[in-house]
Amino acid sequence: MSQAHRRTVQDSRPRTPSVEADSGGEPSPGTPASGSTRYVVSHVSKAFNGAAVLHDVSAVFEPGQVHSLVGENGAGKSTLFKIMGGVYHPDAGELALGGERLSDLTPRSAMQKGVYLVPQEPTLMGHLSAAENLYVGTLPRRRLGFVVDWSRIHREAASYFERVGLDVDVETPARELSIAQQQLLECARALVHNCRVIMFDESTSPLTSHETEILFDLMRALRDEGLALGFISHRLDEVFEVSDHVTVLRDGRMVASAGRDEITRDELVTAMIGRPIGVRTRVRRTSDVTDRREVLRVDGLSSHSVFEDVSFSLTKHEVAGLAGLVGSGRTEIAETIFGLRRADAGEVFLEGEKLEHRTPRRCIDAGLIYLPEDRGRNGIFPDVDLTRNVTAGVIPGLPLRWGLISAAREEEEARESVARTSVRASSLGASINTLSGGNQQRAMFSRWLLAEPRVAIFDEPTRGVDIGAKDDIYDIISDLATSGLACLLISSDLEELALTCDRVLVIYEGRIVGEVRDEEVTTARLGELVVGGARP
Amino acid sequence: MATAAPRTELRPSPSAGSRGDPRRRDRNWVLALVVLLVAEVLYFSVTVSGFFGNGTGLLALTEQFLDIGAIALGLSVVILAGEIDLSAGTMSSFAGIVMAVLWRDGMEIWLAVVVALLLSAAVGAVNGLITTFFKVDSLLVTLAMQFILGSVATALGGASPPYGFPSSFVTIAGTGTVGPIPNQLIVFAVLAIVVSLLVGRTRVGRSLALIGYNRPAARYSGIRVNRTIVGAFVVSGLMAGIGGILVSGLYNAARNDIGDSLLLPGITVVVLGGVDIFGGKGRISGVIVATFVLGFLTEGLLVAGDSSLSATMVTGILLLVALAFKIGLDRRGGVDVVAVVRRRLRRIPVAGEPS
Repeated sequence: MSQAHRRTVQDSRPRTPSVEADSGGEPSPGTPASGSTRYVVSHVSKAFNGAAVLHDVSAVFEPGQVHSLVGENGAGKSTLFKIMGGVYHPDAGELALGGERLSDLTPRSAMQKGVYLVPQEPTLMGHLSAAENLYVGTLPRRRLGFVVDWSRIHREAASYFERVGLDVDVETPARELSIAQQQLLECARALVHNCRVIMFDESTSPLTSHETEILFDLMRALRDEGLALGFISHRLDEVFEVSDHVTVLRDGRMVASAGRDEITRDELVTAMIGRPIGVRTRVRRTSDVTDRREVLRVDGLSSHSVFEDVSFSLTKHEVAGLAGLVGSGRTEIAETIFGLRRADAGEVFLEGEKLEHRTPRRCIDAGLIYLPEDRGRNGIFPDVDLTRNVTAGVIPGLPLRWGLISAAREEEEARESVARTSVRASSLGASINTLSGGNQQRAMFSRWLLAEPRVAIFDEPTRGVDIGAKDDIYDIISDLATSGLACLLISSDLEELALTCDRVLVIYEGRIVGEVRDEEVTTARLGELVVGGARP
Repeated sequence: MATAAPRTELRPSPSAGSRGDPRRRDRNWVLALVVLLVAEVLYFSVTVSGFFGNGTGLLALTEQFLDIGAIALGLSVVILAGEIDLSAGTMSSFAGIVMAVLWRDGMEIWLAVVVALLLSAAVGAVNGLITTFFKVDSLLVTLAMQFILGSVATALGGASPPYGFPSSFVTIAGTGTVGPIPNQLIVFAVLAIVVSLLVGRTRVGRSLALIGYNRPAARYSGIRVNRTIVGAFVVSGLMAGIGGILVSGLYNAARNDIGDSLLLPGITVVVLGGVDIFGGKGRISGVIVATFVLGFLTEGLLVAGDSSLSATMVTGILLLVALAFKIGLDRRGGVDVVAVVRRRLRRIPVAGEPS
């Protein structure tokens, strides 16, 4: 603990000179670093729409090292990588590669200077061959410069593929590659362009453990060749396995930076979440209430080749979780219940009454609401004021005066509803775009509270919100359950489920494969089940 | 179970101003149009003799373009929802011809009007149903419908479409006046108020605008998207039909050749009125003012003796300039200028800082 503290930047002192006492002191752009390509990030800040995402972050990526960034969702890790890769421009601070200051970086100029960002989602051109993808924009030509030199491309590509351990034919269309292969291809692409700094943004999250090992072997090989590697992962085991140096971000600030052997796992976690582990207790476990009437029953719901025979029920006052990997069918199940998709079979009952011909409108009117996963696409009405965003779910119930919507009374309803979820905004007339992610999500909760639901399905309710707002959202959900609402919480964040839910249903490849309740709800147990390791 | 301490919601922030207040931004555009209208009318009144005509002349001129106004009102409903109705122009021809032919064949004139309007609304419903249930782009559906209606109108009307309607009809729907006010202006005022309230103050209108802003979100919020869009096409068909009746009354003859000369000015008015061509943003009051801005501009140039060709050109120029101006205003509305300047100033010392 004490060790980590020594290396901890105090939040209250934003301009503390430097932290990496053991990694070369104050970065000094302008003077070439020891003959190689260290990538120095100094005092970088970045805000989106006025919300600070990074604040005075400094870090050094040394050649021959894997330097990992860790932190909770929204801590600013990806943003830092994107700034380093030229995707975003920093509002303040500077970047230097091998002593040369990098200004006005673009993804293209970053690549030319030797910096490559392997993005979260590989961005290959699916219809082009694997080999062509290596050279996009820079296809080598024959001497006269008119004809693409295909034989050379294929010859060279094969050698790069071998180097990164990618065992596919060079003419395979990129779309036929697995995610893991696409990532190896991205690495090969970085090598083709002689990049000396490669950053992996959560590259391992879609990979199986075997694929992850292959990627790690490649990363170690590249490190040993003297490349500087950056790595982001949510899995601390991976971070400890592959890193030489670890930097912790919290709420956009750098809170710790240390060599791997100088920091313990507990210290790391404490730095990440800003309080010692164990303090963050379950928001809610079992409620004392006796009224455990069944409110929602889903019976044999199936949708061809998406999910099959899904049955469960929810009782009053309960928060049930729905865990599963991305693509396991979680969202599809919720959308089918809510009438956004057709079911091939199965029924939904609300307090014993069958919901026939389900549409979102009928479900809302019956007291069932669904908070969609993708807030930007399916939730908010961009460029529309807060009031109309909040009342959008209850348009048939808007207060009328002589047959026309009463603006004053509508605003009053919206005002009460946003107060219940503590939305912070300059006014009710403000465009929802001016709100932070967390406040936009609170506004979405306000929208659905107005509908006075009996059952609520929350799909990834804390995605893209900052940590403070996250806790508030847990509180909102918990309060709603206390007041009698039956909640179904869909989440990829197992810790979130463990913290919030009384019981968790686990879905794997479209089927419910397990249910854990009360004390059994632990991240470890859930982690086992979501990957299909069901042992009844 | 401790709830987070209640926060100060909705705290006023000094930088708020008009920034990020969509309603205020739309209102500002309407005000800009009103200023433009006043300036234009003053200019023509002073420079073109016979334009103002003691006010009566000015009012009489409106008869020349209120048919476009009626079509624009209907179009704006469809455009707000993020769709388009290219059949609105020939719908007018169609409605006028249907009315005239029914009257010629012995039907009472007002009954013929009602039948023609019902048919227009029905054709609008067909547009909407094909668009929503077969998921065909409304651009294609209504493009096809435009040809169908145009040819049906031509076929029904024959070589010389009916003319010489009963004077009761011509007076009320055409050239009659109440004092100095043309009847058509009264009809238009009623339509404008009805559509304005429909879009701005009813539940259906609210659904319509939200669909235009973000259709998936509208679905997820329980808004009946398909139903509302079909309704919008019905309104558009009906308004285009009314436009066709007004034209017939004005000329005292059914016209099967006016489609094109109504559709494009109609779309122009909608866009000039501040309605986002991709849906969502905009107010009917803007469309109403834009009807007069564009109408008086065209008529003013014609009265001054310019050719209709040059009037059309000026229309195009006005549209481009207005839109460029509007985009500038919107940008300004979305960006906090002060913050940008402050950031610029702050960046300079940082850049020059030897570190």
